[in-house]
Parts: sequence; C-alpha cells; structure tokens
Amino acid sequence: MRALAGAAAGLVAAGFGVATAEVLAAATRPAAGPLIAVGGAVIDATPTAVKEFAVRELGTSDKPVLLTVIGLVVAALAAVAGIAGRRRRLFVVAGPAVLGLAGAGAALSRPAAEPYDVVPSLVGAALAGLALWWLLRGGDRTSGVRVDRRRFLRAAALVAGGAVVASGGAVAVRRSVGGARARARESVRLPAAADTGPSVDAGLLTPNKDFYRVDTALTVPRIDLDGWSLRVHGMVDRELRLSFADLLARPLIERPVTMTCVSNEVGGPYMGTARWLGVPLAPLLRSLGVKSGAEQLVARSVEGMTIGTPVATLLDGRDAMLAVGMNGEPLPLEHGFPVRMLTPGVYGYAGSCKWLSSLELTTFDQFDPYWVSRGWAAEAPVKTGSRVDRPRPFARLTAGTVTVAGVAWAQRRGIAAVEVRIDDGPWAQAELLPAPSVDTWVQWRYSWPAVAGPHSIAVRATDRTGAVQTQSRATPFPSGATGWHTISVTVS
Amino acid sequence: MRAMKFTALAAATLFSISLTACGSDSSTDGEGTAAAPTTMASSAPESSAPADMMTTFGAGCSAVPADASNPGSFQAMAQVPVATAASGNPLLSTLVTAVKKAGLVDSLNSAEGITVFAPTNDAFGKIPKADLDKVLADKKTLTSILTYHVVPGKLAPESLAGAHKTLQGDDLTVSGSGEDFKVNGAASVVCGNVQTANATVYIIDSVLMPKS
Repeated sequence: MRALAGAAAGLVAAGFGVATAEVLAAATRPAAGPLIAVGGAVIDATPTAVKEFAVRELGTSDKPVLLTVIGLVVAALAAVAGIAGRRRRLFVVAGPAVLGLAGAGAALSRPAAEPYDVVPSLVGAALAGLALWWLLRGGDRTSGVRVDRRRFLRAAALVAGGAVVASGGAVAVRRSVGGARARARESVRLPAAADTGPSVDAGLLTPNKDFYRVDTALTVPRIDLDGWSLRVHGMVDRELRLSFADLLARPLIERPVTMTCVSNEVGGPYMGTARWLGVPLAPLLRSLGVKSGAEQLVARSVEGMTIGTPVATLLDGRDAMLAVGMNGEPLPLEHGFPVRMLTPGVYGYAGSCKWLSSLELTTFDQFDPYWVSRGWAAEAPVKTGSRVDRPRPFARLTAGTVTVAGVAWAQRRGIAAVEVRIDDGPWAQAELLPAPSVDTWVQWRYSWPAVAGPHSIAVRATDRTGAVQTQSRATPFPSGATGWHTISVTVS
Repeated sequence: MRAMKFTALAAATLFSISLTACGSDSSTDGEGTAAAPTTMASSAPESSAPADMMTTFGAGCSAVPADASNPGSFQAMAQVPVATAASGNPLLSTLVTAVKKAGLVDSLNSAEGITVFAPTNDAFGKIPKADLDKVLADKKTLTSILTYHVVPGKLAPESLAGAHKTLQGDDLTVSGSGEDFKVNGAASVVCGNVQTANATVYIIDSVLMPKS
C-alpha cells in the first residue's frame, strides 16, 4: 500500500471523526465541538502581542484563519498517522487518540466547560480510529504488497461519504440551533417589575443602539438560554444555580442608572443612561448566607472576563442588580444578553460584568480580576464629573444668547449644582433639570450672552456632599479621569 | 454564527483535501469585533478599533514606537482621542505643550471626526526659539495657529489632496498623491493616515501659518 493511499486513509478517517464530533456537539453542546474548543484554547494561550498582530493584520478574518490553520494541522497529523499506520498499527490508535485527547482537553479548558464536554471529541476520535483501522486492513505490513486498489477506493469513498453526511448534518444542526438562538432573545418576554422605581423622562435616556460598548470580547457571545445558568458559589453557606426562568421568577426592580466607563476621557462619550430591569442582588446574596470575611464578589462572563466588586458596596443599599432588561427590552446581545451585573456608582470594569456565568464570593487577596491584574484600581467609585454637550468644540456661533448645555454626574451622591465659566470670568450657576435619582446624570443648561471673539467654556459640578469637582487633571488610568471639561468656540 | 459557519467550513476542508482559503466572510449577523486587550498596566478597557488602523504611510512612521503597549504606538493611539494620543507620542511633545497652553485639549479630544496636521518637535525646532516662546505665551495667536492645523471631518489619503477650510477659518492646500503629500507647498507629510479614536492625523515636518 503506497504512502499516498495511507495519507488519504488518514485524512478521510480524520474528516469522518471530526465531522461526527461536530455533529454530536452541534446537537448537544456547540461549545464542545473540537474545532471551536481548540480555537478558543489557542486564543487563550496566545500572547497578547500576537493576538494584537492577528487582529491588526487579519481584521475580522482572524478566527476563520485560525480555524483553517487548526484544520491544516489536524490534516497533517492525520496524514502522518495514516502513512505510519500502514506498517505499525500502533499509529492507527495513537493518531486519533492524540487528536481526540487534544479536542477533549481543549473543551474542558473552556470557561463554561462541563465534564461531559469531552464526549464529542472522544467519540469522534474513536470513530476515526475504527475507520482508519478498517481502511488499512488487509494491507500487508511486512511486504508492503499492494492492497486491492478497488476495494480500498470503495472503502475510502464510503468513509468520506460518511464524513460528508456527518458534516452536512453538523451544518444543518448548527443552522437550526443558531437560528433558534437568534430567535431566543426575541422570544424572551420579560415580566413587569414588582418595583418600578422613579419615572424617568425619555430625554434623559440613551437609546440602546447608541449606548457605548467597551469590552474585550472578540465576538459577541450568543448564549443558549436553555443551556445557560448562573452559579453563585464561594464563601456562602449555600451555593445556588439559577436558570434564566429562575431569575425571572424573582421579584424584579427597574431603575434608571447612568453607566460610566473608566477609560472615558474628560468630556468623552463612554457613558449612557438606561432603565435597567433586574433581580436585586443584595437580598439574593443575603439569602445565601455570605460568610464573614467575604470581601469581594467576582463575576465571570462566559468568555472568561472577570470583574470584582466589594461585597460591602453591593450590600450598602444601592440598587446593584442582575440585569435582564435595558430600556424596556431584553438585554441586547452586545450589552450582555441574557444577564449582566449592574452596580450603580461604580465604573463598569469594577461592577458590571456582561454575559454573566458565575458569581464567586471571595477575598481581595485570593483573586485579582482581569483589569485589576493589569494595574487598574480594585475599588472604582465613579468620580464627580460634568460635560459640555452644546455647543460643540470649535463651533462658530452668532453673538447673542447662546444656550450652553450638558450633563453632570455623581452617581450615589447626586448633583447639587453645576457652574459654567466663560474664559477667565466668574463661575455662573447653570439651571438643573429634574433627575429621577442620585444614580443618573443630571441635564443642565445656561444662557450665555455671547459676544464676538474666541471663547472658552468650562463646566464643573458640585455633588450633594458639597464636594466640588476637582480641576486637577488625571488620566483614566488607574481609577478614572478628572478635570474641568473646557471647550473652545468662536463667536462672530 | 460566523464562528459556527467557519467551523463547518474548516471541517469541510479537512476531508476535501483540496484546501482552499476560507475567503472573506462578510456576514453581517450582528457580531461586533473589538480590539484585543493589551497586557500593560497602562492599557485601558477598550472600545471597538477601526479596522484600517494600520494603513499608515511615510518614512517618518518608522520613528513611531512599534510596541503596541507603548502609548505612542499606532495601536495605542487608535484607542484614544487625538490630544491624548498625541501626548503619548514623544515625537509630538512640543505640539502637545502648545495644545495645553492654548487650552485646546478637551476641544480636540471631544470633537467628532476631525483631521489634524501634527507638526513634529523638529518642525517646531525650525522656528527661532524667541519667536516660538512668544507664540506659546500668546494664547490668541497660538489658538489661531493650532486651529489652522485642524480640518473638520476625517480625511482619508484618497481625499487629502485639495483645498480644505480649517477650523481657524483660512484654507490650507494639500498637493501630491499616493504616499507623497505636501501641505501649502512646504510642509511634507512624513507619516500619514494615523488613526485616533476621533481624528485622522497626518504628521508634518513644518509648522503651518495661517494667512490671517
């Protein structure tokens, strides 16, 4: 039997094995499919610099390229196993076994892995091994006498046909499951809040489509509601696992809350206000019996993000919640569907994990969450800030009364006053519009009698503790930017 | 969905032996892409980065730090607004000083979609020190000069040539094509099409002066 036939046998058998593993995974746990699992494991193990290079050079085709490379590696190994397997049957067992264990190991390494995720890879490997054995049977190991070519081709065609049918099945199953999942969010019917909180003017809210998005997810996770659950564990008297239905069955609250990203520059766009519907977190935690010494709640997302929040912060009376709804609809996929955490008054990186998969009660010593291990502050209360939204920077205005307007925020403390300063003039009080709670931004406006010339407009806020927003400039790293937003305009 | 489709495609390549490239999948099924996080302490939680961030051109680009974790690198600059981006780049420290003195940091950072012609330190070095110090001390003149370097809208290299009205009010004129451009006939673009979160930057080797 020639090497070419051996290689072909290896490829066909491997194709059959991978395809059956994929169809098995598609029908049960898509994340357990060997190709996706190995791809995910490779991405996790790749140094950041290489990842950045890949994103930069390949753009959005980085993952297809990765999967193709994985396919090529598997194909090469399969061909080698087929060639070597002609004379030494050990390789017929070892080849598929190595690939199967690699797939199974990768599946187990995924953040949301379950023990049975090894099944598709192992079953696929076993079938590939059997197919390879069958294809190579009859080949004379010692003399290398050629096996009946016609019989071999028939057998190879049969296995290849099986592979095609299985992969076709995998595609079909994935398509129907994927379609069902895309429909899953649309089919979610959120119950009304038991406690609707203060009413809020629509003008204060940021539409979901315009809401800022800052995260590290390479692709937006699409979560199967049927397979999803939230595990609460660690330093609690009793662990808990909640399905989406379990969450919706609890009394929900709805609150307007302004979210702020720590990487927002002075005057920057990374903030927004929405009506959030969710399960209040404090009573849930208390019902599980938080052990003394539990200082930090670490939230994990399905794609491996970790976000830590002080337990004391979550239990201090604020409306921290497991949010399921945003502005009257289920969470958009990119904002964390099906469930995200939301901690009013804390920058998102330290309190508002998206695509939630688990909550662990632990200590600060025990675990540094993702951004904290990169030097960002472990505790991150939102700093008092204000922004000029109108006029725009560098605007050319006509002399006369110009309305200067914007927002100010000091979540948890509330805004007491906003002042505007033109050039080096005195600070003047701006008018505050009503705000529904201390957790949202406040809209302000000021009528400026503008005279011709170049002018700068500065704004500062005072919170309800009497503290004036600091003029001192700080960069977003490590705990949020500060400084008075100051823009230049020209009046003629 | 895309990943799933490609799983199927990659599976298909396994037994089709004739391995073809996966090609470009432009499925717009709602998946977003975001920049990969960086590991340095100074890295920020990031938002989506433009895909064309690496199409810079010009001999001067080689002076820009290549290490993505360096705040002066193209990758880091693409993540932050223009004044912040410039402040991370040692080639632009004089410009940054001037922008701070003129009080234009926030205006540049919160302007939506602008093009900045950014003179290097060497460009400022061409101005006699006494004159430069005088300009840096005169906020009105300084503002006029700096805003003359800013054009509304993000100009891609294809639409760079021609006359453009600046924020100062006067026009500037870009001549040339391809990777070879001059501004007002004198200042050469040494590194072009540098992306920041809100601005496209062309680094130039001379300071531009408005007529008025």
